[in-house]
Amino acid sequence: MLFNHEERRIILENNEIETLIGRLALGDTAAFGRLYDLTSGKLFAVCLRVLGQRASAEDAMQDSFVKIWKNADRYRVNGYSPMSWLITIARNTAIDRLRATRPETDLGRYVEFLPAAGLNPEQSAVAASEAARLADCFAELEEDSRAAITGAYLQGDSYKDLSARFGVPLNTMRTWLRRGLMSLRECMSR
Amino acid sequence: MSSETDREEMDMLAAEYALRLLEGEDLARANALMNSDQDFVRAVEGWTMRLTSLAEDLAPVDPAPSVKRALMRRMFPAMQPTKSFWDRVGPWLGVATAASVALAAALAWQVFSVSVRSPGPLYTAEIASDTNDFRVVAVVDKTANEVFLTRTAGAAPEGRILQVWAHGEGAPAQSVGLWPEGASVRLVLPPEIAAVEGTLTLGVSEEPPGGSPTDAPTGRVFGTADIPNVSVN
Repeated sequence: MLFNHEERRIILENNEIETLIGRLALGDTAAFGRLYDLTSGKLFAVCLRVLGQRASAEDAMQDSFVKIWKNADRYRVNGYSPMSWLITIARNTAIDRLRATRPETDLGRYVEFLPAAGLNPEQSAVAASEAARLADCFAELEEDSRAAITGAYLQGDSYKDLSARFGVPLNTMRTWLRRGLMSLRECMSR
Repeated sequence: MSSETDREEMDMLAAEYALRLLEGEDLARANALMNSDQDFVRAVEGWTMRLTSLAEDLAPVDPAPSVKRALMRRMFPAMQPTKSFWDRVGPWLGVATAASVALAAALAWQVFSVSVRSPGPLYTAEIASDTNDFRVVAVVDKTANEVFLTRTAGAAPEGRILQVWAHGEGAPAQSVGLWPEGASVRLVLPPEIAAVEGTLTLGVSEEPPGGSPTDAPTGRVFGTADIPNVSVN
């Protein structure tokens, strides 16, 4: 596989992050400090986007780093997704915090960490290259689908929240959103 | 689950799960699939990776510097008194069989009796995985600056080998050596590790043959053990 300059930069940065996660699993506190310096800006941005308030976003980010430290041994090096693993933890932690403030929502247990040994390196490469096209594909979506998917991803909206926000029945909301996801997948695999 | 419609339905459910849109029965169904269906897990993982790029476009926002200080204090309280050896060993002694305690003692004695020259301290520790499917008893011999390890449960997966790691408190982890086969291995401590005073942390991971291609573990880290109050011989 040949890589352009940007791809090479991302691969090098991913390698450093993967190496640091590997060291975390050994209890290496110096590696933890370095990982924080490299990634806290991004993880804080994710928490802030979900929670909308600095104070609770800072708490969520701290909790995320505690989870990262404790679960580093579950991470499997595949060369593609260390940021996606970290971002997923931060997003889920922030959403949990958001939903905990709404006592009426019972969204049940969620498998927080993906079981190990999922994607092999080739599958990861495919997913990574698809992800690289997401921005363009996203721009092709209809406005409503786009807003719904972003709302779910970055604001932690459930179908119930979305159907209230868009003023449509829940099933209609689900059909819309699924249609958006399908076109997204179709476009990314092109 | 073979027809096109079923696969399509599965993939959409995986996307909804990754987005955390599901509630009630749908969530219960997806959680059950997460525990039983590898294709579903891979589909969720694929969607998770694709959707992360929505967050990757967010411009980083620097948290206040005080947040890092608070986090480091919370996680690694600098002034925390080092736990005593027995506090540390206690949890595994509780579940370890008498046989493995006896083994640790026997190993320590063995190591001790071969290193007759001005005997330095011997330290023992057990490295055990959370799920107890992997256990190693380690004896650090400060006379020879060697570590002697014996597997008491589990092994590297087929086609993989074990690698031993160590570091001092706040110091970067480094490889002590490879453990390609056999129930036991004796490794010479690298100079930086032999020089550690205070808490010495040992860990074992599984790696490709030839060891980790980087200077950190790339496979599963089975566990670590801290040996407090280590002194240089």
